[in-house]
Amino acid sequence: MPIAIVACYSFNVYSINPGPHSFTLAAWHDFLHSAQYLALFWKSVKMALTVSTIIVLLAYPLAYYIALSGTKRKYILLLLLLAPFLTSYLLRVLAWKVILGNQGVVNTFLVWTGLRSANHPISQLLYSRFAVLLVLGYVWLPFVALPIFVSLESLDRRLLEAATDLGASRWYAFRRITLPLSIPGVIAAFLFVFIPTLGEFITPSLVGGTSGYMYGNQIVDLFETGFPDWETGSVLALFLLGVVAVLTLVFARFLRAPQLKAT
Amino acid sequence: MDVALSKSGTYMMRVFFAVVVAFLYAPIVILLIFSFNNSQVPSFPLSGFTLHWYHQFLTNSDLRGALQTSAIVAALSSILAVALGILASIALARRTFIGKSPVTALLLSPLVIPYVVLGVSLLLLFQTLGIQRSILTVMIGHVVLSLPYTILVLLPRLQQIDVSLEEAAYDLGASRLRTFRSIVFPLILPAVVSAYLIAFTTSFDEYAVASFVVGSRITFPIYLYSALRFPNQLPQVIAVAVVVMTASLVVVVGAEIGRRIAERRLGALEL
Repeated sequence: MPIAIVACYSFNVYSINPGPHSFTLAAWHDFLHSAQYLALFWKSVKMALTVSTIIVLLAYPLAYYIALSGTKRKYILLLLLLAPFLTSYLLRVLAWKVILGNQGVVNTFLVWTGLRSANHPISQLLYSRFAVLLVLGYVWLPFVALPIFVSLESLDRRLLEAATDLGASRWYAFRRITLPLSIPGVIAAFLFVFIPTLGEFITPSLVGGTSGYMYGNQIVDLFETGFPDWETGSVLALFLLGVVAVLTLVFARFLRAPQLKAT
Repeated sequence: MDVALSKSGTYMMRVFFAVVVAFLYAPIVILLIFSFNNSQVPSFPLSGFTLHWYHQFLTNSDLRGALQTSAIVAALSSILAVALGILASIALARRTFIGKSPVTALLLSPLVIPYVVLGVSLLLLFQTLGIQRSILTVMIGHVVLSLPYTILVLLPRLQQIDVSLEEAAYDLGASRLRTFRSIVFPLILPAVVSAYLIAFTTSFDEYAVASFVVGSRITFPIYLYSALRFPNQLPQVIAVAVVVMTASLVVVVGAEIGRRIAERRLGALEL
């Protein structure tokens, strides 16, 4: 019986991805020949790559510190890092909106302390690519630390001790042992951020303004504005899904083990 | 000598960690400060203490309605997600069947599908089947989203449990249901609770999928999203943000501590 339910359910999960209703390749053709959509997609890819790379680089030392510094309060530190991730996504974006706006906390603080005149707020703070980058990084940072932490935690410290005994420096031991062994965690972390960021539309629409407009926003707009174009929207969504699926499959062998362990 | 970090390295890491934690919590603290600030716009200098915004959101019936809808959706969808998660995990942990790994991959696939794609697909599915968008469709969407998380929490726990305990129960004449009720369920209870909480918070906070499939009765994130466009609603939104964030932090941290205590106790029993 459970198997039957699993089967039904997985079928459900799978069947929620129907393509365009009547079979035609016209929308696909339009999509592949439109510079606009592909440019937007490319922009999103670059944004997602930047965000993921930056926060993986930031999160790695954090995870390394928690996992390997030998502190007894490992899990308290981890929880401290993770707790913000478990609060509302939307509310954390809201917080940044309040902080970055022209009349927001940063600008008015600068004016108040006399560091900047009231007529010249730093207007690039909100509604810019920078804002999208900052907020996405902020939102995902704790989540990225987790898979890296898990892979570093399972590392056998004796390997490092052996390396040190054999005369390796810490840096050398890190490069030859710790880093290669934690690569699966790093890749999982990278994908866990890269994939949602690629389709992201909430943060760009709240703090991105026009220059932060991304592929995800385009999909939403095709479905929800006054002139809905569901067919093109579906094509865009399926294209995104295809790219993500390929990426996941490529990294599947790295991903599988850490994913099940990540809890 | 420590093999992972030198003394100065540890010190630098500690500082770096502190800076990142400060960065993570600063926005939350700023929200907290401005929720009590007596001014229509959240800006410096602070202009005095007030509870006005809290009072305002308590009397805002739209907002309360949205919160209520979200609570209902989250409560029901996470019960369903956990129930399905238990069944799926049992199948994955205890049975062998053909195509087990593709099924696992399928069950976990919503984890790696961008939410906007899921939202679009669900919208199309409901449209094709002729189902009206409503609070029910949001619930279904959230079950799909949170099911993989519940499986990821429940499956490792089930795999830890010694199968011979269940076999012993069967040998003693217990039915499958009885075995599940008196042996398996109590043992996985801590994991069930945390799976439920994860599913609940996922659903309560979920905007992307909900925005596609929501009907006329809106959920809290959707209310929030639209309220963000009106500056005069901002202060009370900040107040409600503080309340919701505090509540979820308390629940999450409490649940984590509770789970550790419970698992330690169960661990002692199993020895």
